[in-house]
Amino acid sequence: MKLSFTRRGLLAGSTAALVTPSILRAQPAEIAIGSLTPNTGGGGPFGPNITASHKRVVDAVNASGGVLDQQIRLFQENSETNPETAVRAADKLINVNQVLGIIGTWSSSVTLGIMPKCQSANVIQMCTSSSADIPVADKKGLVFNFQPLSPIWGRAIANLAKGRGIEKYAMMALNNDFTRSMMDGFIEVVGKDALVQEPFYYNAGQSSYRSEVTQLISQNPEAVFIPSYVADFTAVYKEIFRQGYEGTVITTSLSTGNQFKDAVGAAADGVIHGFPVPAINSPAYKEYLGEAGLEDTGSVQHPFGTAGRDQMSTLLLAIEKAGSTDRAAIAKAVWDVTTGEGKETVYNVADGLAALRAGKEINYSGASGSTEFDEEGMVLGRDFQLSEIKDGKDVVLERLEF
Amino acid sequence: MSLQLLVNALVNAALIAPPAMAFSLLFGILRFPNFAIGAYITVGAFAAYSLNVSLGLPLVVASGGAMIITAVVVWLTHVVVFRPMQDQSPVTLLVVSIAAAFIIENVIRLFYSADVRGFNIPLERPWKFMDARITREQVEIIIFSGLIAVGLHFLLAHTRIGRAMRAVADNPMLAAIRGVNATWITAFTTALCGLLFGLTGVFAGLDLVIEPLVGWNLTIPIFAAAILGGIGSPYGAMVGAILVGLAEEATFLIIPSTYKVGVGFAIIAVLLLVRPQGLFGTLEIKK
Repeated sequence: MKLSFTRRGLLAGSTAALVTPSILRAQPAEIAIGSLTPNTGGGGPFGPNITASHKRVVDAVNASGGVLDQQIRLFQENSETNPETAVRAADKLINVNQVLGIIGTWSSSVTLGIMPKCQSANVIQMCTSSSADIPVADKKGLVFNFQPLSPIWGRAIANLAKGRGIEKYAMMALNNDFTRSMMDGFIEVVGKDALVQEPFYYNAGQSSYRSEVTQLISQNPEAVFIPSYVADFTAVYKEIFRQGYEGTVITTSLSTGNQFKDAVGAAADGVIHGFPVPAINSPAYKEYLGEAGLEDTGSVQHPFGTAGRDQMSTLLLAIEKAGSTDRAAIAKAVWDVTTGEGKETVYNVADGLAALRAGKEINYSGASGSTEFDEEGMVLGRDFQLSEIKDGKDVVLERLEF
Repeated sequence: MSLQLLVNALVNAALIAPPAMAFSLLFGILRFPNFAIGAYITVGAFAAYSLNVSLGLPLVVASGGAMIITAVVVWLTHVVVFRPMQDQSPVTLLVVSIAAAFIIENVIRLFYSADVRGFNIPLERPWKFMDARITREQVEIIIFSGLIAVGLHFLLAHTRIGRAMRAVADNPMLAAIRGVNATWITAFTTALCGLLFGLTGVFAGLDLVIEPLVGWNLTIPIFAAAILGGIGSPYGAMVGAILVGLAEEATFLIIPSTYKVGVGFAIIAVLLLVRPQGLFGTLEIKK
């Protein structure tokens, strides 16, 4: 085939080549944000609510003109509550989508698993994880945790259990950092004298939990505390029931969702469980219920979906406050828009953006809680709730308000 | 050791004895260690779950259905995956069996997700005698396991097809010369083992929880029991299961529970060094 060039054709081609970059420049710039949530696996009951919250906030902000005159582009990935999957997804979000933040990670192993990649690419992380290793691993001040660390869980659940007059405990915990440090926090409050025997650990995925349960209940304690996840706790609890233990079983609410209740049926009644919950009387929580199309039942709904709303709102407010997409400046601005006194309290991103644009200092108070952060980016406090399963339903026993 | 620990060991043994016997039978006929047994057990658990919970069938009927479904899956896996590769080395087939296990488990995950499930039967409180406690369900598992052992013994020792199975396991070529149809015997053995893996899936679902890794979690104790008893020897697998069950319970008295998962590995490692043919196996002479 013969190719021929005419002067007219060459002129047209050259003009097109020169014009193309200006067309690209004319497209509105976008701010890319990654949402990495546990839509399946252990966090499956919570992930979709977090995802939906991220999207709702972004849609609302984009509809009103975006942030810094730029639209927000949300890239959503499923971590499967699995660190390996999460690392692959983070790679894609960082290198292909060029996100400035990855928010919504739930389990500590996922948050910690993607942290090296995020740190080296200066990507902001926002999570609801509880491992005490998170602030240690964050060398650049880019990580914000919207959930208390696990020793705080242990202390809060212990306080609530003590309040019920329980004096003697036996304990065993799943062998991971989250549950081990939760057990330490629990022991800090009840004291070593309250233990009928040395606490011990078990592994997930054992072929049986019989000997562990035999050991746990051997001294017939008033209560047993078992920090765990749903898969191992369900198997352990079946064995506790089959070995005839009639004392109180205490664990985290992460282990006692519908999967647990469906798997053990009526035997679930009597299990006591606790975890951090949204401040259900706060204006932001009420707004969240409306946004998510939920009725106000007076009880906790979407414990992690609320945190998802707060993560995205905080990040967008921090971008507006920083006035640029520089990651370090945004991270610093997170404290500016969430923490400290003497500022105008706002309960949603629209009011926050309006106040910032009016030159005011703001303190975003979220649906999940007050969202005040310490100097390591860890949320300072959350409400805690202790519930008991009665007739297959969670009945609130007590609530500790922050 | 308290009486309760002995009861615990017996229940453990009853759970792993049938699949250990099935694993040994499969090895005898196919001559490679099949790592897909965990996935077969998971198939059994989920098949029984679907029949019991989704379709509302009684657990006894669901168990029968699950055993048949698992038998079909094991036989199909043999026909589609292992038979075309039967001339490959045992190591190649072992690796292929790991791949087959991953595929089966992930297909289950695709349809059922990683959620934890249970059968539609109420948990029961135990019977108590002396210091020990045992539930009716656990007694049933022990009885079924014992019946399976006796049944397998009868099948192998006193029936024509059992003798044919032993003949094919011992020397397939000689068996073929004597008129034994090795293809049919292999199909029968894989389906029979499938029935046992399916039943183990039901037992595991009752004892633990139904999730995609339920079978994989039992694989190492099953291997340890089969190797301890002498790989290829179903009777040895039964004795091996009891010893592995006891070892897992007894070690808890000495070492922390977190090392319990290593007991099976330790038994395998020590036996391979000291007595590779196991307690009841015969040493293979290689020319």
